[in-house]
Amino acid sequence: MEKILTKQSFPEWIEKLSAYKVYAPIKKEDHWDYEVVEKAVGLDPAYGNAVLSPKKIIFPQREVLFEFGSQTKEGFDLKENLPEDEAVVIFGVRPCDAKALTGTDKVFSGDFEDPYYRKRRDAATLVGLSCNTPPSKNCFCLSVDGSPFSKTGLDVLLTDLGETYFVETLSDKGEQLVNAASAFFSDSKKKEKKEVEKLQIDAEKKIVRQVKDVKSLPGKLKEIFDSSFWDDESLSCIRCGICTYLCPTCHCFDICDEVTCEYPLAGKRVRTWDNCQFPDFTMHSSGHNPRPDKASRLRQRIQHKYNYFVERYDEYQCTGCGRCIGKCPVGIDIIEVLNKVNEHGA
Amino acid sequence: MEHNDYIPKPAKLIGIKEEVTGGRAIKTFRAKFLNGHGFSHQCGQCAMLSVFGKGESMISISSSPLQKDYLQFSIMKTGRVTSALHSLVEGETIGIRGPYGNNFPIDDWQGKNLIFIGGGIGLAPIWSVLQTALGRKDDYGDLTLIYGSRTSADIVYKEDIQALRDKMTVHLSVDVEEPGWEEFVGFVPANVKDKALKPGNAIAVTCGPPIMIKFVIMALGELGFTDEQIYTTVENKMKCGIGKCGRCNIGPHYVCKDGPVYSWAELKKLPPEY
Repeated sequence: MEKILTKQSFPEWIEKLSAYKVYAPIKKEDHWDYEVVEKAVGLDPAYGNAVLSPKKIIFPQREVLFEFGSQTKEGFDLKENLPEDEAVVIFGVRPCDAKALTGTDKVFSGDFEDPYYRKRRDAATLVGLSCNTPPSKNCFCLSVDGSPFSKTGLDVLLTDLGETYFVETLSDKGEQLVNAASAFFSDSKKKEKKEVEKLQIDAEKKIVRQVKDVKSLPGKLKEIFDSSFWDDESLSCIRCGICTYLCPTCHCFDICDEVTCEYPLAGKRVRTWDNCQFPDFTMHSSGHNPRPDKASRLRQRIQHKYNYFVERYDEYQCTGCGRCIGKCPVGIDIIEVLNKVNEHGA
Repeated sequence: MEHNDYIPKPAKLIGIKEEVTGGRAIKTFRAKFLNGHGFSHQCGQCAMLSVFGKGESMISISSSPLQKDYLQFSIMKTGRVTSALHSLVEGETIGIRGPYGNNFPIDDWQGKNLIFIGGGIGLAPIWSVLQTALGRKDDYGDLTLIYGSRTSADIVYKEDIQALRDKMTVHLSVDVEEPGWEEFVGFVPANVKDKALKPGNAIAVTCGPPIMIKFVIMALGELGFTDEQIYTTVENKMKCGIGKCGRCNIGPHYVCKDGPVYSWAELKKLPPEY
């Protein structure tokens, strides 16, 4: 359904959502970050995008899988630590970041369903915010099947019309959220729908960065696997890993044991985000490393996003959010790398 | 409770055998699930072993699926988890989850001659299929084992290999000359060529250090084996075992899920990242 919500009513809507844990992007010194909202607030009109996508809520950077204790007659004491049953609503989700979750959905489901991810994902309602203006000068969602008004992965999409939001519900979860406070919503008119369409056309024109000929990348990337291209492109990398830590689609993780007491044994098995740009990511205990240098690790990042993931899941593992470009301390720019891949050997 | 693949099930160590001592120590562990837990595996599959407080390691199951009483793992002491496993004694409990990965297509190999080519601890991943072939001897033709280690002190399953000689052809090797050694001296690929293995109606299964696998495959190719006749099993660092943690990939393949067993025809199409 399509509705209109005045900006004045927005905080009141949030207030009505007491059955949910509410997340929204909160302004910090020089960035926005998703945090739990304790009191009703509006969305910051200057909001661009959060430094970390809502992936951090669905797939947290650190989570305890289970707690373990010492050996017992039955084996060992073990306490599973699945997320609590708690409905969550996330406001201010940019379309690219919602689309990213449809990729991680595929990774964490399939023949081995990941119950930690699944529980959080099912419990979350995503309220998106169309990008009337690109949040970053490095946005390139149009190159990777995205759009500043994309609805993929969202439950509700809000579009800022100045004094009001145009509200589109996109799933049952989204309708529930609107129905929880239906008094604040009025019916939309044709005029407002037209306005949204115009905003979308204008917004798409404002996205200037572009990966050329994306469709040919998987094939091209296969061709240049062994090329010295990767040595040249990775020369300046300082393997800090920020490109993948900030990426809304990256899902690689580590599992480690944290011991709180040696005798009697007590500890936690913990999952944390990991990073393909780190040397020990793939290093065998023998010391052998299948991806031993910066070149093979940059190649892995690019090949995973634009070749392997496409082959496995039939979509790019990149939504064009531009975070990795904006935050790379040495200026490695995935758009430039990809465009060079396409031109390589031409 | 919903199914959770990350939760290991308790298994008791019912036997620990010291295979090799010293700097390259290898022990063979036999484990039996507790409290009615358990799983049935296929030849070539692996399992995640937990020592709580130390972590998890992916280890190939070296016992045959025909062996229902226990699971067997032969493990070289290398990193944190394998060192912790080596410090355990019989009667202690570990965690096991799995089984993971694909398997050797042994049913497709009925009537064929099977040649097993192992190096060092690389005998463990093919021991399961070797034992199964022996257990179903009528289903297969001639069975041959070619196995090499650095020195005679590094041979795993020493007594078992001696006992095999009545049932199949066995060719051993050590890397360098040593007093009293009467069999082949040199690397495994050289032994493969020396024995002039015949490719007719045969399947060769090999596992060992990556460099050995590479040269064994070349040697087999020189002897006339086709890429489809050669199988190997690959290892890469793993954390989840279920195709999500993202580190064991060879191109678009996850070794934990799509491997570890590959024919050379399949593996040669993938990037050499293993």
